[in-house]
Amino acid sequence: MRPKLYFRLITALFFIFPIVLLLLQSITTPWRTREGINIQLESFTVLWSDPNLWTATVWSIIIGAVVLLFNLFIGLTAGKALAFYSFKGRSLIEALLLSPLLIPLLAVAIGLHLFMIRLDLADTWLGVALVHLVPTVPYTIKIFHHAYSQIGRPLLEQAENLGASVSHQFFTVELPLLKNAIRSVTFLTIVISLSQYAITAIIGGGSVITMPMIFFPFLNSANPPLMAALSIWFAVPPLVMYIAVEALLSLAPYSPTFWRNRT
Amino acid sequence: MRLHRIKPWILLFPALLFLLLPAYGLWSAASASVSSTDGITFLHYRELLTSERFLHSLWFSVRTAWTASMASIIIGILITRSFARYLTEILPRLAVWLPMLFPHLVFGYIVILLFSETGLLYELLSTLCFIGGADQFPILTRDDYGVGIILTYIGKEVPFVILMLYPVYQALPQFYFDVVKTLGGGRYQQFKTVEWPQISTVVMETFIILFAFTLTAYEVPAMLGTNFPEMVSVLSYDWFYSGSFEDRPLAFSAMVMTSFLLFLLSLSSYLYVNRKRMRALRGRL
Amino acid sequence: MSTAIEVKNLSKAYGKETIINQLSFKLNYEEKWSIVGPSGGGKTTLLRILAGLDQPSSGTIKVDGESVIGIDARKRKVGLVFQQPLLFPHMTVEENITYGARLSGTFSKTKTNDLLEAVSLTKSRTSFPSELSGGQQQRTALARALAAEPKILLLDEPFSSLDPALRQELRYWVRRLLDEREITSIFVTHDREEAMIMGDKIGIFHNGEFQQTASAETILDFPANPFVVQFFNNHILINDNSYAPLSRITLFETDDPSVVIKAELLHTTISYGERIAHVYIKEQDKRLSLRLPLQFNQKNYINLFVPKEHIHSFPLSQQGLE
Repeated sequence: MRPKLYFRLITALFFIFPIVLLLLQSITTPWRTREGINIQLESFTVLWSDPNLWTATVWSIIIGAVVLLFNLFIGLTAGKALAFYSFKGRSLIEALLLSPLLIPLLAVAIGLHLFMIRLDLADTWLGVALVHLVPTVPYTIKIFHHAYSQIGRPLLEQAENLGASVSHQFFTVELPLLKNAIRSVTFLTIVISLSQYAITAIIGGGSVITMPMIFFPFLNSANPPLMAALSIWFAVPPLVMYIAVEALLSLAPYSPTFWRNRT
Repeated sequence: MRLHRIKPWILLFPALLFLLLPAYGLWSAASASVSSTDGITFLHYRELLTSERFLHSLWFSVRTAWTASMASIIIGILITRSFARYLTEILPRLAVWLPMLFPHLVFGYIVILLFSETGLLYELLSTLCFIGGADQFPILTRDDYGVGIILTYIGKEVPFVILMLYPVYQALPQFYFDVVKTLGGGRYQQFKTVEWPQISTVVMETFIILFAFTLTAYEVPAMLGTNFPEMVSVLSYDWFYSGSFEDRPLAFSAMVMTSFLLFLLSLSSYLYVNRKRMRALRGRL
Repeated sequence: MSTAIEVKNLSKAYGKETIINQLSFKLNYEEKWSIVGPSGGGKTTLLRILAGLDQPSSGTIKVDGESVIGIDARKRKVGLVFQQPLLFPHMTVEENITYGARLSGTFSKTKTNDLLEAVSLTKSRTSFPSELSGGQQQRTALARALAAEPKILLLDEPFSSLDPALRQELRYWVRRLLDEREITSIFVTHDREEAMIMGDKIGIFHNGEFQQTASAETILDFPANPFVVQFFNNHILINDNSYAPLSRITLFETDDPSVVIKAELLHTTISYGERIAHVYIKEQDKRLSLRLPLQFNQKNYINLFVPKEHIHSFPLSQQGLE
């Protein structure tokens, strides 16, 4: 009984409390005990009236979606290869695919800067999306590698034996069983993409405005409720992505729908 | 038959293509760091290694990153091993991973909100009359010791550590613990003989990912750090964007040198883990 | 009767290790075969090759008269039921069963109902695999394989993950189903009894080839070689060339001229209402089990008297193909 109490306390204090704090601050006046604390919603009105916010939000979602698509394609193929095949140099490949996480992103970004200029990708959203692949793809490959190992090769051989074509097998067996992995990848890529200030600034050259780009100017305003509101707003792109992905996933064959749920 | 052998490589092709991005980036940074108008030069590296500012910054970065990663790992292990059984339920798991929904910048702001000189902690302490004026409250954000940076990373990375460790702990067979108990082993023995051999690889991997990230990420130190000492990432970024064009090669060489340090660290731990794995395998034969 | 599957000179090697060695056999429609042999002897590999999931090193396979070498597993019309049920966890029983049928274009509501009825799962048609018992899961897997209407059905120890009582029951039940539906099948197992129930003809597979392919009766009357004798435990091996049926052995000296074999009595057990002696023959370094007379109470060492007139030689060609 007591460990459970500790668990709840620790979870509440370290994991939930900080977020609740943000929420509270975003709808109250700055906390100065001598002045008293009042509820206000101005912070959000001010936030939403800033045109930069909407540009940044939309571009963050567009870039996040493109990053996610690339991640899904690279992760699904590589994850399958790593889970189902044994080949020469396998452990080296595995290490190499993890290695981008160990390289300073800043080094990669400043190194790619000239290359992007040459390809006309500097200062474009596509260039930014490409460089956002570096911190995300290694995680995605890991997640899909694990997910495919869990499904196991025999189950897919069974589908093969029953006559399923490659694409039919993917949509009817693999996709439904990879749903949780896809959800994790969605969250992970969008949140990591939303965290990138430096590499977005370098490759985007200031003309690609994403949410981190407007974070620092807002910080200078030194207005806690407004900053808290913006911080909360950072949860919007992940939620939008999640809802979109969830909607797409529900179109997958054999998805649970209300008429498939028996009483 | 032959198709069968090349099939994994076809599947790996997009991933290998992707690897070109960081590989080319690093290579081009490295070549920019040694190039000059007349051929290859290591001048920038010499300049760097004699620069008080850089060496100070490197030492400060390593210390801060090491502390933040170590603390996150230790707290993460403690929470996971104590509470793994509660994490099987979906709601507690979501609660623990809630901070992962927010980017580092947001967590940096939470730390400011809590620990800055006008933050919640100060208000609380002064209201309860533990401290008198603002001068009595320690500087915890934008401080000389990187406390704010470390706090931010701990808040954000502990859930990540739990995410990495939880599957390992879930897969630990309970009877291992029973065996140690029946043989009279205490808690420390349980950890040493049952848990550590199973988690060490993941812990090592997680630590290196965290260390590499905290050592070189720009956003949090830019928000919560001071001008001196500053993290290498902030220094390099300034050099890259400073008005004078001469500073750019310094940005390249600083980043390349940091990459090289990280490479050495990853290689040595990879070899260490592999040596242990080889021994375990040989023991089984 | 026409040929369902014909295999010629099939070989499979991994590096230097030969798993299947120049195997040839032929199965007519509606025939039921068992392949039995020690665990890990390449039986599973053989089935996987027939189904197209592994590639042979050399040799030909014809299904329904047409070569399937190089033809994808997806198009072979060779059904395979694995050791594990391998049901698709996100589909109901009914969806699992109709999966292959829809792909082969043989789906019909009547057939589905009929199959559900046949495997007694009509009530569980909307259940998910995780809600079924082990036996129900394996029955679903069988129905799923049958629904695709394969030319030949391969079964790879499908009962091995079930507990013994259930296993017994399912054997008879599946055999009856295969008979009723006139399915051509190859059943792989390491269990001799199961092999006799599931196949009219038994292929004893060892060292990459069939040691003998015959009915259980023929194996009893004319075992092909020492390995068959050892594996089936119907006979005692006199030497590399001759054997005698266990039923002819006596434990007391008789007038008939006999070969005497000394054996150490390891243990006595009781099955099928008989006392069974488990003995060790030191000369041959082999263990053997045989019936004991009820009034027998000798200890430690016993003599086995094998009448000379019942000692037979193996056929010259060690292949017992009919």
